[in-house]
Parts: sequence; structure tokens; C-alpha cells
Amino acid sequence: MLFNSLSFVVFLVIVLALYYSKLLSWNGKKRMLLLSSYVFYGMWNPPLVILLWISTAVDWTAGKKLAVLANPRSRKMWLILSMVVNLGFLAFFKYGNFLLENFTSLMHSIGWEFEARPMDIILPMGISFYTFQTMSYTIDMYKGKTERARTFLDFALYVTFFPQLVAGPIVRAKDLITQFYVPKKATMNQFFWGLFLLTIGIFQKVVLADALLSTTSDSVFDSGKILHGLDAWIGTLAFSGQIFFDFAGYSTCAIGIALMLGIVLPDNFKFPYAAIGFSDLWRRWHISLSTWLRDYLYIPLGGNRHGITRMYVALALTMLLGGLWHGAAWTFVIWGALHGTYLVVERLLKNVVKIKINAWNGVLLALLTYTCVNISWVYFRAKEFETANNMISSMLFLNSEGEKILPTAEIMKVVIVIVGLFICHWVMRNTSMKTVSQKTPSWVLGVFWAILFFLICVAQGSGEQFIYFQF
Amino acid sequence: MNLKSSLTVAILLGLGLLAAWEWHWQSQGYLSELDDNKALWATNRAKVDGLSSDDVVILGSSRAHFDLQLNEWEESSGRRPIMLASDGTTPSPVFKDIVENTDFDGTIVIGIAPGLFFNPPGKGFMWNRAQTRIDHFYDRTYAQRVNHYLSLPLERSFSFLNGSEEQWSDDIDLKTLVNNFQFGDRTGGPPDVPFNNFGFVDKDRNVTMFEKTKTDTAFANTVITAWRVFGSGAPPSTLEPIVEFYNEWIQKFKSQGGKVIFLRLPSSGSFRERELENIPREEFWDAFLAETNSPGYHFEDYPQLSLFICPEESHLYTPDARILTKELLKILIQDKLITKTN
Repeated sequence: MLFNSLSFVVFLVIVLALYYSKLLSWNGKKRMLLLSSYVFYGMWNPPLVILLWISTAVDWTAGKKLAVLANPRSRKMWLILSMVVNLGFLAFFKYGNFLLENFTSLMHSIGWEFEARPMDIILPMGISFYTFQTMSYTIDMYKGKTERARTFLDFALYVTFFPQLVAGPIVRAKDLITQFYVPKKATMNQFFWGLFLLTIGIFQKVVLADALLSTTSDSVFDSGKILHGLDAWIGTLAFSGQIFFDFAGYSTCAIGIALMLGIVLPDNFKFPYAAIGFSDLWRRWHISLSTWLRDYLYIPLGGNRHGITRMYVALALTMLLGGLWHGAAWTFVIWGALHGTYLVVERLLKNVVKIKINAWNGVLLALLTYTCVNISWVYFRAKEFETANNMISSMLFLNSEGEKILPTAEIMKVVIVIVGLFICHWVMRNTSMKTVSQKTPSWVLGVFWAILFFLICVAQGSGEQFIYFQF
Repeated sequence: MNLKSSLTVAILLGLGLLAAWEWHWQSQGYLSELDDNKALWATNRAKVDGLSSDDVVILGSSRAHFDLQLNEWEESSGRRPIMLASDGTTPSPVFKDIVENTDFDGTIVIGIAPGLFFNPPGKGFMWNRAQTRIDHFYDRTYAQRVNHYLSLPLERSFSFLNGSEEQWSDDIDLKTLVNNFQFGDRTGGPPDVPFNNFGFVDKDRNVTMFEKTKTDTAFANTVITAWRVFGSGAPPSTLEPIVEFYNEWIQKFKSQGGKVIFLRLPSSGSFRERELENIPREEFWDAFLAETNSPGYHFEDYPQLSLFICPEESHLYTPDARILTKELLKILIQDKLITKTN
């Protein structure tokens, strides 16, 4: 079920009505939320709910054992079991076809005419999100960083909580399960703020990502032509806006919906296109994934504890795997590799060049960061290397005879939206939406809210799926 | 932060803006109408699974869609056919799907719009458009089904909910409104030809042509221009691959007890002239019927079917379509190809 759909409106109204009715006890409400979450997921493909159940059962059992076992060997076995099941799901459902294709290519390259039957595996929606979330519980239990969930219901709801089930934020057990222990009810202000966030999120998705930017991005990346530099840049900028609004829109909706239930989810985006440098970017973009990768991959790989070389290797490896997390294709690996390289180069430069950041050089450095991010987005969006490489050469203005496919008005539209996006991120860089709203007169906020609602209705989104559902 | 006041302002102003927007588009002549999208098509395709041998399924392109009126068909024969003809498509993949994936043993009426029909099967724009709808029928999620049913009463109630899957030039969703804003010319290509909607459907996908298509010559000319531009980019027509395709699937359909009737419905003016020049009747229509040994009805062979002028040269104005449907049914019943059950 998509947040930007009529079925979700009906679903949410029913869930809220039951949640705030006096018919159910707190345990009853949690059971209702769990059942609703399965319905939410099953409305897409009911049999795949079984994967959620297996993941839940395995990690609940592993967590239970880890809480009582003292023998290090036994504890490790339970941890490995959880990792094998969760990563096994990911390997089969997400990377099965990719692995098979690469194996076939490898066989061909050594002269063996091996042809495998295509597996046609369905990618379960949001599998990367919920497996990472549930794995974090078991790993934290193993390391003694979190307590065992008190009841199976609390744990199952942690794995399946519908607002963040299919595209995050990826929440840690200690941040979410504990909220299920005591009855939760949103205050009136929390409820309305949640509704406002839901409106903002849907506006980002339906109006900005789908109605204003997706067409340009699609027509450039799917053109199959060698493009003029301006067209390549505009298409890439459009995609940079589309993916931000799409994903940040989902996260904002998720946070808003949870808040309407009195549950607090962490921020997932903090105006990332105003980042100065790449360390800053990853503190602002998909925060719950970057912190997950830091805690469960970068630090176990050694982090910065074993010298500079090992740190750079850990950093590069983390970003490569982070790229692969996004999709089973080598283009995603290159995207990750580019970000790994950016981070390594940035750290090297910081040792040599000392810059005191002020408003003037800050905005130039933010623009430089955003430009480099756009280069990486080309590999993220392009389906083949040939497309990506052609786009990059066009963006470097090496294709002087490249075709002009975008009309002037379309270029203006993208420029207006992207310049607006960048300015907004820069202005909001050191603050938050809540802080700004608190300083805004109620009626002005009301007018702004009305305009968002009106534009969502005028956009009439056709229920486009969120891009990150496929990850 | 007094969010209660903000929400009150948002609700009042938001609904006020929407009401003004709705009033504006109603005053511009926009109707509250259903979108003839893949979800609506899929709900009608689903009906095929429960049909009897007396039932009729209509396949084809927009010509069959506009020209065959379901109410008149039902009045004449006693059975309401299932309308699966789709604009800008070839009926071939849908025919194959029904034969391959259902036990239907009734009658399939296939409208032939020559420029769309006589194309190599399995590929191309017209095939892919139809295939997208078939794929949606099989792949639609429960959420998509619920969304469709929830959207129907809203589409019937509000004119501003006019954005369509077809992406007509005169749609009034935000994306179309923004994209219609054009200035300058840097691409060097020919200017986009506006392609405006000229009909609406009900839940059975029965089409009614907008009255302005008949009464407003300037509007009709925008559609005629679009036909000319689209026609100039169409692939050359071909006969043999399509004969081979239909011989295979007609045979299979007959073996499960079904029968097929082909129709060639009216076109007019310069559109008709282009069809005669590029896809001559003898070389395509007559040859196709002969080689597939199938019954077919060409409007030119029946005076009562040749009385009409298509306002935009390719589809009948709905009152004319009603007459044509009744006259056609008389012929089909007389030829014992359709059984009268009322």
C-alpha cells in the first residue's frame, strides 16, 4: 500500500479510529497495529508476508537465546543463524538474478557456454529495510547493547510497524521497542504536527518528485541518445531532486504517521543538499542507513582504530557495500565507489588544506559537494554503463554535437525547482522544520498547509511507487 | 505554535481553493468523467472469466470502442457485451490472451482499424500499449484494486479530477498544465501537436463522444491534425505475419468452442483517403478474411452502415454510433452469428 493512495487514506482513518477508540486495551491496540501492518504489506503481495514472519520468528528466538546464553560459542552460533537467514533472504530475493547473471558472464569469459534458466524472482518490497532493522536487534543483543524485547508482540511490531516497514527510517530496537512498553497517545499538537508532516511528505512525492521532475529525468535517462551538455545536466539535476523528494517524502510521511500514533521516529534527512563535504552529506542523507553502515560495517571492519590505510579501506568497502545495498547492479557499486572515493579524498584534503568555513565559502563548497553528488547520481539512475558514461561525457561538455531534447520551458521548470531546493536546504541547514514552524504565525502556516493540500489535489498523483521501495 | 488554528485555516482555505478550482473547470466545460485507464480495463477483462457461450467480447482499437454502443447492442441482442477495445492499440495480444488463458467459448468481435491492426505481432507501440493493460490485469495488487474502486465515485463527482493515463493535451492535472507551458524552441524538432480528449467512458467502458467534437469544427480539426501527424510516423502495414498469427489463434479459439467476427467500421475524409492509399481493402481486409477463412463485415458493403460522417474522420458521433450498432446487430442476427436472447 502506498502513502500516496486512496486505499491508504481509508486504511489510516480506520487504524486511527481503532487506536483512539476505547474499545481496545494497550495490548489490543498493539495487536491491531501488528495486524494492520501485515494488511498494509499484504495488500501488495500476501504470500510475501511469510518472509516477514520468518524473519521475525528467527530474530525473536535468536534474541531470546542471546539474552540467556553465556557460552560465547553458542552465542555466536545464534548470531550467525540470524545473519544467515536475513542475509540469505537478501541474497536470494535481491541478488539472486544478479549473481546468476554475473556467474553466467564469468563462465562465458572462460569459454564455457553455460546458460542458466532465468529465475524471475520477485523482489519483496522493502526487504533491505526490514532485514537490516531486524538484524540490528540481534547484533545489538549479541553485543549487549540492547535489552531483549519484553514480549513477542513488541518485537513483531518493531519488525513490522507499518509507517516505516518498506522504506525506513531503519530504527534501532532500543529506540522503538521501548516505546511499545507503555501506552502511547499523541498529544493534540503531536497529532496535528504528524498530519502536517504527512502533508509535506505527500507534497514532496506527488507534486515535486512525480509531477514536476520525473518526466524530465525519465526523458533524459531513457532517451538512448548522446545528449547536449545542458540536457544531460538538467536531466541529472531533475533526478537529484526527484530522488530526494521521493525518499525524503516517504520518510517524512512515515515520521508523521508514527507521530499521529504517539510514536517518535528519528529524522532520516537533514537538508542534505546543503552539505559541505561528504562526511557532512552522510550525516544528512538517509541518516538511518549511514549510521547502520557505520555501526555494523565500518566499525567492525576496523573503523579508524587501525591506522589510516585500514581506515580508508574500511571506508571504501562500506561505501561499496552501501552502493550494492541500493540495488543489484554494478552501476550501484560504482555509485558507492564514487562516494567512497569522495570521502577518502575529502579526508586526505582535510589533512592538507585548512579552511575556515563562513557563509561565502560555505555556499561555494556546498555547491561543489552538490555537483559531485550529481555526478554520482548518474550511475545511480542509469540502467547501463553506456548510458551513464555518455551522460558523464555530455556533462563534461565533451559531446559538442549532442542532441538537444529538452524544450526551454522544461529546462526553466527544473532550474526553478532545483534552485529553490538548494536555497531551501541552505537556509534550513542549521535549523529544523519544527523550529521554523514554531516561529511562524499560525495563520501563515495554515495558508502554507492549504497550498500544499491544494497542489496535491491538483497534481492528482497516479499512485506512482516510491523509488526506494525497490531497494 | 498553535497547530489547531493552522489546521483550521488549512482546511477552510484548502477546501475553498478546491471549490474555486472545480468551479473554474466546470465553467470551462469539463465534465466529471471516468479515466479509461488500465485499472478500469482490467475490471472489465476480469468479467470474461465468468461468461457463457452466448456472450460477446468486443476487441479492437478506438474505432470499435467509439462505434459499438453497449446499450444498443444489449437492447438488440439481449446480452451486454464486454468492451475490451482500447484506443491506440491492436487487438491481437488481447485476443491471444483470452484464447490462451480463459475457457471462453462465446463470440469475439474484433474491430479492425487497418493502420493499427496490420502490424507484425509481438512488438511495436500498438502491441505494447495493449500488452501493458493485459500485464496490469495479471499483476495488479489488492491495493491497486481498492484504489481503483475508491477512485470511481470521486472521478464521477469532480471535474478537476481529470488527469488521465492517456495524458491528453487538455488534461488539467498539474503535470500536464505545467508541461503545456511552452516558450522558445531549442530542440529544432517539429512543434508538438496537441492531442485532445474527445470522449468519455462509463464503468463498462462504453464511450460517449463529446458533443463539441461534432459541433466545434476547430476542436475536431485538432484531432484530425493529430491523426495526420501520427499516421505519418506509422510503420508500413503488413499482412502475412498477422494472417499467420490469427490462423493459429482462431483455430485454437474454435477448438474451445468460440467464434470470431471481424468488423471494419467507418472512417471519413482525408483519413479514409490515406487508408485507401496505404492499406487498400483488397490487399489487406479482403485478403485477411480469405486467408483466415473468417466472417467479416465492411461498412462499405452495407448502405445502412455507410450513412455516417465521422466528425474527426475516424470515429462516429455517439448518436450515429447508436444507429450503426442497431443496424449491425440486425445483420449479425440475420446471419445467425449473434443469437438474440431477449
